[in-house]
Amino acid sequence: MDEKFDCIIVGAGIAGLAAAMILARNNMKFLLIEKGDFAGSKNVSGGVLWGSDLARLVPEYWKEEDGGWERYINHRRLTFMDRESTFSIDFKSSHFNAPPYSGVVVLRSRFDRWLADKVQEAIDDSDFAMESFIATSIKVDEVLMEDDKATGIRTGEEEFHADSVIIAEGVNNLLTRQAGLQDDYVPADHMLTGIKEVIRLDQKVLEDRFQLNGLSGMSNEFIGYATDGVEGGGFLYTNRDTVSLGLVAGIRDMREKEKSPHDLLNQFKNHPVIQDTIRGGEVVEYSAHVVSSGDKQVMPKALYKDGLLLCGEAANLLMNAGKAIQGMDFAMRSGILGAETIIHAKKKGDFSSQTLQEYRRKLDETYVMKDINQFQDAVHMLHSPEMFRDIPNLVCDFGRKFFTIDSKPTRKSRRLFAESVKKHSSYWDLIKLGFKGGKSL
Amino acid sequence: MKLLNLSERLGLVSYRNQAKSDIKPHIKVDTDICNSVCPHKCTTYVCPANCYTMDDNGRVHFQVEDCIECGTCMYACDQGAVDWNYPDPEIGRGITWNYG
Repeated sequence: MDEKFDCIIVGAGIAGLAAAMILARNNMKFLLIEKGDFAGSKNVSGGVLWGSDLARLVPEYWKEEDGGWERYINHRRLTFMDRESTFSIDFKSSHFNAPPYSGVVVLRSRFDRWLADKVQEAIDDSDFAMESFIATSIKVDEVLMEDDKATGIRTGEEEFHADSVIIAEGVNNLLTRQAGLQDDYVPADHMLTGIKEVIRLDQKVLEDRFQLNGLSGMSNEFIGYATDGVEGGGFLYTNRDTVSLGLVAGIRDMREKEKSPHDLLNQFKNHPVIQDTIRGGEVVEYSAHVVSSGDKQVMPKALYKDGLLLCGEAANLLMNAGKAIQGMDFAMRSGILGAETIIHAKKKGDFSSQTLQEYRRKLDETYVMKDINQFQDAVHMLHSPEMFRDIPNLVCDFGRKFFTIDSKPTRKSRRLFAESVKKHSSYWDLIKLGFKGGKSL
Repeated sequence: MKLLNLSERLGLVSYRNQAKSDIKPHIKVDTDICNSVCPHKCTTYVCPANCYTMDDNGRVHFQVEDCIECGTCMYACDQGAVDWNYPDPEIGRGITWNYG
């Protein structure tokens, strides 16, 4: 192919597909390259796609009978866990029942494929219906650079040329490193392994067990025994007729504590409360993928250079500040902003970093970078041993005492709490943590 | 609910080019490094697909066939033994998720 594209997007995950959708709608000539058999075939998430941007890409997506998403979230639960107990903060509200939903559960192999079909429809409706492509089963070996400006990509012996390249390759960002935007070796310190099972239940059983109505769904995050003292936490999300049950576990912490993620997952599954939750289920898939912690320290040195933009988790746009694990929504927004920047550059006829820096400026102005910047302390706190070890033990210990009715004189809660604090932490540590928490949240 | 061991779990995974026996490995591991200077040999326990194993003599071995392309070893190995890449779609192995 000799012709030149306006843009080549590497990776048909959420960031790449969002960018492609905006480019197609704005009559740009582009090539979206995916190394898997189909969009989503190599992608894994927990996972909930938060926020409302999906409605921008696929208006009224909720009206589609069999859309690519699983369930919308109207029920949230955060659970502290010790060896035998769980203590949850639980919130459910009909406030979340009306679209546009504030979060939908997705299984990426299905969701990304569906979104890619929507992008193809947008391409078909564009001026470049025959000249823009989604190409699958192609691995990009190299981003071509001339005088430090991206001019296209190479796959095997073949080269494709473009005015711009969007790298949306995901967290294992080899091309980002090759382009000099991130170090060749990224240490394990701020990286975690996500590991999960998709467990099938009879749909009626699933809906009754989780008190679901129609396509409503629940998201449940766990800290404490879920990861057995390893940095991280657990999650459970309801899909249509399956649940996604898994963990994220810090890679450095697993290395130091000599823990295997698959053993941790079995231990989590074996917890009495989880056993009750998944009883009668059948595992239909086991999967794993690295995810970054949302610590700004792992972000690439820059998110753009001449002719080049980084979107989604290739740029380590991810955050878990305790309220929700956000990554897919950041990917979607960054893909949209990346595409808008490319469209602007095309109009200007200038794809240099002078123009493309606009992408970073826009990203800084949105909730994506504002939240990442604002909640760094919360990220650090959540990844501290107090939060994933001491506090869950303390909370569950207190819960066990508080809810014990044993025909003996009942002691005041204050005394019970003091005992639990003494056993698992100290008032001084709690004050420090409370101060940190108050400041960071 | 019955717990699955790792081989049962991996039995649920769909690999690419599963019928091909002669595939091009997408990850190269210099096990000489693992077996000489590495103090922890952590890939033998952090890999979710158990691609890294340790024999009775404590020596590390690597096979790429079960790899699910998660990336864990690329970060976990701080000794420079792991040369990580994505598999070639035609002649490599790697993953195709059914759920993801």
